Amino acid sequence: MPKPTPSQTVGPFFARDLLWKDGGIVLFPGRGDRMTLTGCVFDGNGAPIYDALFETWQADPTGRFPSGHDGARPYGYGRVSTDTDGRYAIETVKPGSFTGPGGATYSPQISVAIFARGLLKALHTRVFLAPIDLIKDDPLARAIGDLERLRTLVATPDPDDPKIYRWDVRLRGAGEAVFIEF
Amino acid sequence: MAETRPVDVHPPYLYPDYKSTRLRAPAQPLVRVAPSPLETAGPVFPKRFVGESEADLTTWGTSAPLGENPHPVDDHDAPLDPNFLGKGQVLTDDEGRYRVVTVKPGAYPWQNHPFGWRPAHIHFSLFGNAYAQRLITQMFFPGDPLLAIDPIFQSVPEAGRKLLIADLDLEQGIEGVALGYRWDLVVRGPRATPMGV
Repeated sequence: MPKPTPSQTVGPFFARDLLWKDGGIVLFPGRGDRMTLTGCVFDGNGAPIYDALFETWQADPTGRFPSGHDGARPYGYGRVSTDTDGRYAIETVKPGSFTGPGGATYSPQISVAIFARGLLKALHTRVFLAPIDLIKDDPLARAIGDLERLRTLVATPDPDDPKIYRWDVRLRGAGEAVFIEF
Repeated sequence: MAETRPVDVHPPYLYPDYKSTRLRAPAQPLVRVAPSPLETAGPVFPKRFVGESEADLTTWGTSAPLGENPHPVDDHDAPLDPNFLGKGQVLTDDEGRYRVVTVKPGAYPWQNHPFGWRPAHIHFSLFGNAYAQRLITQMFFPGDPLLAIDPIFQSVPEAGRKLLIADLDLEQGIEGVALGYRWDLVVRGPRATPMGV
């Protein structure tokens, strides 16, 4: 079996070069209730990471994964860079829950990949868009077990605007987000 | 059905000689999960991916996956070629081949350590047929003495390093115009699982 090509860092400049026009607006063929996922990415000192590439991939509101594009960009995929405050924002539709092999039910969630200087390979995780009490049977929630750690992956609706979900990501140290391998 | 994953040749997150990893590498182990539909499905790109105008240096193929290969843009004040956009996008053909005509990058200085210079490299950003296959990496050139002292290249376990170095293959080039290099990439199977899942 051939060995896979090793990963290398995206570096400090490349993230900027890769951006798509309107990459923070995730496209889907149909209409759906739009929502925004936004927050900041922090390092082990709590300093904002201002040079990350932040990519998202998700199901549509019915829980299906889109397999098309609008002629320019794929459906369902978001790509932005963080700004000088470490902030990202993705405008999308709220994904539905879906079923995996073996019948496992996955709660509404978005896959996130973070690439940056200092990351020799991507950090992968999933952010949940449902309250923690409703996701305990999700396969990832079960794999994590610990509620405090699981809480690092739960986005919270803004009290003033329920269409805005806030999720900050700490890469290392106190409050470190759970990252996954699959 | 899960496939067995081949030997892991990826670098660790924490590699202290590459200083930027010290505050960005997670301290906790990754949580292992079985691939879900999130990973076995993936974004589908148009056959002619139109990015932001950088297509003059690319040759278009006919099918996925998509590769993007910007030149490493630098911020030191060496003169830049105004005719060189520095990035291209290409779709591999039915046999997985790609071809990019570009200029050969040079080494550039960086602040990781005193007198630090990165070896010449070309960044590659790939999408496969599944989200699990997403990869960003760097291609290096054979015989570069900077490779032996580059912390980013050296972060890769020894068994993987040669996989990042292109082979000189003159017949892949353009007669009288461009040197040719050949560099094959391998992405994991979408259902390959880490040990223990």
